[in-house]
Amino acid sequence: MKIKSEQFKEVAREELKTRHTRAHLDVIGLFIQEMREASMATFPDPSAALELGRAIRAESVERLPELLEAFEKKATANGAVVHWARDAREANQLVLNIARERNIRLVTKGKSMVTEETGLNEVLVENGLEVFETDLGEFIIQLLERPPFHIQGPALNIPVQEICDLFLEKGVMKEPTLEPVELGHAARIFLRDKFHHVEMGITGVNFAVAETGTIINVENEGNIRLTKSSPPIQVSVMTLEKVVPTMKDAMHMLRLLCRNCTGQKIASYTSMDSGPNRGAEADGPRELHIVILDNGRSTFYRDPEAREILRCVRCGACMLECPVYGKIGGYPYGWAYSGPMGQVLNPLMIGQERTQDLYRACTFCGVCKTVCPAGIDHPKMFLRYRAHDVEGDSRYNATRRPWPEAGFMEMFTWATKRRWRWDLGIKAVRPFINRQVEEGFIRGLKGPLEGWFKSRDFPAMPRKTFRDRMRGRKE
Amino acid sequence: MNNPSLFIPCTVDLFLPEIGEACLQVLRKLDLVPVYHPEQTCCGQPAIHAGYVKKAKASAKHFIEVFGGDEAVVCPSGSCVCTVKDRYPELLQDEPDWRSRAKELAPRVYEFSQYLVDVLQVEDVGGAYAGKVAYHESCRVLRGLGVSEQPKKLIRAVKGGELVPMQGAEVCCGFGGEFSTNYPEISEALVSEKAENYIASGADVLVACDPGCLLNIGGYLHRHHPDKPALHIASFLAEAIRDEKR
Repeated sequence: MKIKSEQFKEVAREELKTRHTRAHLDVIGLFIQEMREASMATFPDPSAALELGRAIRAESVERLPELLEAFEKKATANGAVVHWARDAREANQLVLNIARERNIRLVTKGKSMVTEETGLNEVLVENGLEVFETDLGEFIIQLLERPPFHIQGPALNIPVQEICDLFLEKGVMKEPTLEPVELGHAARIFLRDKFHHVEMGITGVNFAVAETGTIINVENEGNIRLTKSSPPIQVSVMTLEKVVPTMKDAMHMLRLLCRNCTGQKIASYTSMDSGPNRGAEADGPRELHIVILDNGRSTFYRDPEAREILRCVRCGACMLECPVYGKIGGYPYGWAYSGPMGQVLNPLMIGQERTQDLYRACTFCGVCKTVCPAGIDHPKMFLRYRAHDVEGDSRYNATRRPWPEAGFMEMFTWATKRRWRWDLGIKAVRPFINRQVEEGFIRGLKGPLEGWFKSRDFPAMPRKTFRDRMRGRKE
Repeated sequence: MNNPSLFIPCTVDLFLPEIGEACLQVLRKLDLVPVYHPEQTCCGQPAIHAGYVKKAKASAKHFIEVFGGDEAVVCPSGSCVCTVKDRYPELLQDEPDWRSRAKELAPRVYEFSQYLVDVLQVEDVGGAYAGKVAYHESCRVLRGLGVSEQPKKLIRAVKGGELVPMQGAEVCCGFGGEFSTNYPEISEALVSEKAENYIASGADVLVACDPGCLLNIGGYLHRHHPDKPALHIASFLAEAIRDEKR
């Protein structure tokens, strides 16, 4: 997947003008948020449930190396083959090799963020395999060749007419229809045929249980279950932070994940794999391969500032609630992970230089941190990334700030140290700020503050500060 | 209860001094004589948020020196209070003496409505207002400090004032300091929605506990709906007190 995070501002401007984006985001705002809150309220003690989830994720990440080893041991004993991939290229190559060695031509996929991250589809297709995304939304954006709009609703914003045209063009159906149910049915018929002939199924993983060596997937369409149970070969790709200590922990995290994701107490389908078909079983793959991807995460693990990010369970609560995401949608973030989750993750994954807007396009409203069931403090991470830029920290591929800003901050902080300096500063900037005042308000200023005045006025700076007024009072 | 010390944020000091005066008026109505340290400046939030954390240490230290001896520090801005409470200890983590001074000061710094209701245990400051009031839940007041009921209690206690619900009251107004100038279109989308919700609520006035939000929402209203006022809680209460006397 091509990374376009550096085009954040332009794409955001476009999206703000796109009627369909706005309409669908408003729907998310109205319904899914309410469903999320209502389903969280079904816990006997919602805040205790949230805290337990945070504790589980904190423990999982603290014990990561040990838990991964335990998971590998158990999964292997169950008959699965565990592969380790250092980066995206290695993971893709591993999957490709599994397919090649078995002469596989047809692959179905369950919705998976990690394979978006590695760009697996492109690699398989380039190498002559037929690959079908089977989640309806994911299927649509695969045909459209677009990034996901939302982590759970990748094609949420695509108008029905566009889907109809697309399905006709790509041969998914023969007769045009604008009925959403009929469109869904057409995709189902089309994909059902693929499931009949599929040779290898690829999925992501929601949780991996160290205690039992089990991988767990949740979904609402049943396509992941078909992808796992129809073909003889199953490949499940997970990033290394997906592991949790016990099955009990996994069950609690599922409760939180489904509520935060789609406002459900439990997803329509929850499937667990503890090894391949053992011979006497009715279905299930002959071979189960689990690919564990690092792709930079072990580096974050070693970095005490960044380790916390590994707690993320990709529920999407942060983006559902984020006011900025709620206006611009997923495209401006320019990669697999959007919203606050992507804003904390992407700068580490692809370097700060290309992702500056991600940690700057934030008002510090703190709603992401408040709802996060994994206990991530997103705003604190954004402050750290900003500090890395100021310091020009090369470990994060940070870029130094422009000198006018650095100079201003130098003077500003110098002035805060003594009141006489502060007053001196005020005297110096007042005529500059107040150069165009109409009836007590500034209606426009050129320069770095220009953006403000596109839609807003600003009160003129009064002749006397509050302190001046207090002094007047005493005298 | 000793007299509180007043911490006036730079936005109020420079642009909205009437909010500071309103704080004084309300506190005096409660027979308090607030202390004002004239050497105070700014908490350093703009520098911290922009990532200049090393430089902002100087601002934090100055603040701690000025206010460190006070029993209670009252501030008409939730976000500045959060800066002192949450950011200072982090900022000063490699200087243990300063860090412990910051941590020791933190619990004594209060947002204005929080101080009235939680510390003074005053919910009714008197005053009268004939009209409907909408309340905007400023992010750092609501989520930063957990303050939400306090200002609403104060508003409800004003004679004749009717607190009306507002759609999306707890959603960010789109200010975010430098965010508002760096991403003006996104900021506008948020503040215009806030204004729409305020107007749709049927309220005659919008009240908030943070001058940042008020610069943003007020600035937008001044341009597009000049007849719709947005007031700081202190200004709203001070006006209500004045109106009752009339």
